[in-house]
Amino acid sequence: MRRYERPVFSLLYRMVRDRALAEDLAQETFIKVLNGIKSYRPEFKFSSWIFKVANNAAIDHLRRRSIDTMSLDGAPDAMTPNARAASALQLSDHGETPLQEVEARELGGAIDRAIGRLRPEYRACILLRHVEGYAYEEIAQMLDLPLGTVKTYIHRARNELRGYLEDRRV
Amino acid sequence: MSDTDLQHLTPDEVELWAQGLLPAARALHLSQCPACLATAERERKLFVELAQLQRFSPEFGFVERVMAKVRIPTPSGGFKQ
Repeated sequence: MRRYERPVFSLLYRMVRDRALAEDLAQETFIKVLNGIKSYRPEFKFSSWIFKVANNAAIDHLRRRSIDTMSLDGAPDAMTPNARAASALQLSDHGETPLQEVEARELGGAIDRAIGRLRPEYRACILLRHVEGYAYEEIAQMLDLPLGTVKTYIHRARNELRGYLEDRRV
Repeated sequence: MSDTDLQHLTPDEVELWAQGLLPAARALHLSQCPACLATAERERKLFVELAQLQRFSPEFGFVERVMAKVRIPTPSGGFKQ
């Protein structure tokens, strides 16, 4: 487990961009893998199986979060400006917590910010390919996607990343 | 100059070039096509940035916290926490 602890946690952290949540998802991943070790199929690489479980945990979380997300500008079906204002979220600025400061420092580089702007599916593909070094075929297996889709996602992700990074450098 | 020499590199070929795996016959195209060379160099720069990304560690005691929740099979066929 120590061998996979850092790569799995790093992938999850970059997927959800929240340290505490990434740790919860990493725990969930390892517990699921270790409790389900009997269902492991040796024709797959063990590392592929772990990343598959981790990625599913991250994507499930991100989907749930997008359903729970509410517009900061108020309900879209509000009929009047007052109704819209009344339904808007009220946020108060208490500054960053120490954990948020750590996150801002760790994920604050240009490349990490650019990765954070990618769609989650693109983010998973690009991290598995270019950070973890998996082959396209292995990524397709891990993410249950056709090989062509994985190639398209990675190609688009690279174009978007280059675009973000070049905008920053202009 | 063959037709292959004139064909622009595909994204897969650019990736192979960045890894030093593109056959020499196709890599020759880069010396004749400034557009492909510029694209390939931009891609290589991105690959290097991605490969150099920092790996993060969870908080101290992570393994112990996980193992406390894993069910370990017992000789009698049951599980213990």
